[in-house]
Amino acid sequence: MSQNSIELRGVTRIYRRGGQDLRVLDELDLTMAGSTFYALMGPSGSGKTTLLNLVGGLDRADAGEVLVGGEDLTGLSDTELARWRADHVGFVFQGFNLLPVLTARENVELPLLLLPLGRRQRREQAERALEMVDLGDRMDHKPRELSGGQEQRVAIARAIATDPEVILADEPTGDLDRDTADAVLLLLQRLNRELGKTILMVTHDPQAAGYADRVIHLDKGKLGRIDDNRATAGRS
Amino acid sequence: MPFRLLFRSLFRHPIRALLTVGSVAIAVFLICMLHAVVTGLARTVDAAASNRLLVQSAVSLFVDLPLAYQGKMAAVPGVEAICKWQWFGGRYEQDKGGFFAQFGIDPETFFASYPEITLQEGSLEEFQKNRSACIVGKDLAAQYGWQLGQTVPIAGTIFTRTDGRPWEFTIAGIYQTSTPTIDQQTLYFQFEYLRQSLETGGAVGPDGVGVYMLRVQRGADPVAIQAAVDALFANGPQRVQTTTEAEFNRQFVSMLGDVPLLMQMVGGAVLFAIFFAVLNTMIMTGRERTRDIGVLKALGFPNGTAGMLLLAESLLLCGLGATLGVLAGLLLEPAFQAAVGAMLPGFGFAGDTLLLGAILALGIGVVAGLVPAFRASRLTPVQALREVG
Repeated sequence: MSQNSIELRGVTRIYRRGGQDLRVLDELDLTMAGSTFYALMGPSGSGKTTLLNLVGGLDRADAGEVLVGGEDLTGLSDTELARWRADHVGFVFQGFNLLPVLTARENVELPLLLLPLGRRQRREQAERALEMVDLGDRMDHKPRELSGGQEQRVAIARAIATDPEVILADEPTGDLDRDTADAVLLLLQRLNRELGKTILMVTHDPQAAGYADRVIHLDKGKLGRIDDNRATAGRS
Repeated sequence: MPFRLLFRSLFRHPIRALLTVGSVAIAVFLICMLHAVVTGLARTVDAAASNRLLVQSAVSLFVDLPLAYQGKMAAVPGVEAICKWQWFGGRYEQDKGGFFAQFGIDPETFFASYPEITLQEGSLEEFQKNRSACIVGKDLAAQYGWQLGQTVPIAGTIFTRTDGRPWEFTIAGIYQTSTPTIDQQTLYFQFEYLRQSLETGGAVGPDGVGVYMLRVQRGADPVAIQAAVDALFANGPQRVQTTTEAEFNRQFVSMLGDVPLLMQMVGGAVLFAIFFAVLNTMIMTGRERTRDIGVLKALGFPNGTAGMLLLAESLLLCGLGATLGVLAGLLLEPAFQAAVGAMLPGFGFAGDTLLLGAILALGIGVVAGLVPAFRASRLTPVQALREVG
């Protein structure tokens, strides 16, 4: 198994709503190769975000195993899981989720506080990440002083600042217009192709999914088909 | 811990933060004030001399004792000296609503009985020689800009002059005290001046002495003297009550009611009110930060970090308030001492008073911060991100 591959074995996740058990993921088996850009599609309630949360160690499966880079997340304690997230995963959310009181640079520096880095190293690493997303001239701006696209790029810079193997994006273009969304998707594509990041992106948008190497379809908590965009004519 | 986030978050809602800090500051200041009053009263009682007894009417402090009692008491074994005290209750002619106490005393025994009181300026001889002379506390002199030799006109309210003019006292000395429990805002004049004025018809007013102070001889038993003096006048014409100075002070204080209990109740109410104000602020803050808490947890910060941030924020708000409250106390202390010093000479913000205010404020900060901190620590990242997202 490659260093940044993702594997789910018989994963079940049940939510209890209104006194009833809701089986959001139902004995799901899925293997995702490392350094690949995956899009995760499906109707609402199909379990896309739940799957993303399980892979990111934000949530726990009720049954089955979740392995990321060979590490079985199901056996980790809350503290170990938090440490693992800091070391191995970067998150990009639909609503950007930047901390409004911090500047772009400070937002990107935030996950770096968990690494054994000096102040200067943190600053340099944050600046590098921001330059990578073309925001070198917006480092000292607070989120409210940035456009939606810029905010999402800061969020991406924050996700890659610690150089994680896996980037998880939950509807990263959901709040953006088409042009801005395309720019963000190109950026994610570049991170995958140039830096070898494994990217798992939840989306409702077929156009967004078109940027991924593979598109995984979920339906009612079960795996549907997997499309390989690389095999499609016109894209390579 | 992301300290930058902590400090930036502190004033995320500046008006709310400033109002909370202001409330805590006012509460700390009030608590310091109340504590200073209580400790001031206690200090006045505790600092009483053991070799001074006070004889007053058994009926009330406001009933005078006959002048003839002095000779009889002087004959009691162990009584070394006697000093009369008579409340004058006059009003300074040029005063605009201010108040200071005036007492008629015996200069010959007064200074020997109260070694805590010494003359800073002027002469005791002049005070004893001149019937209308007086001595004033240095704070009082400073307050009105009085100088030695100056005449102070005092309109009598209990003792009035028959010519309708105010009493005139010439300043022969300015005294200071070596203990904060005796004020420096009183005017003392010769009791003899008052007595002669009453006898010669120059003035009208009650004839007698408010309180006799008995100085106990070294080695003499104060309890035995108390009993002897009380027994001396047990059959009248005016029964007396002899107490130690400490007991006299305690009784005087108790005339105001149970001041310490009242102050503690008011202080407790202030504490509760401010606790709920800070708690409300912190609960609102905790709820508003739910998404930030989720982000921090998603980034890999341990569960405790979000809780610690909220707890630290609560502590900082209360700490800032406490600092401002203590500073306000220190700045305003001289003004308050000047205002209440005559009534409560022991009043002052001692180190323990300020420390108490600061500790209580920080205690409120901890307790109020624990509620949202506990909630933040228990939220899973998914719960926190979902709640607003």
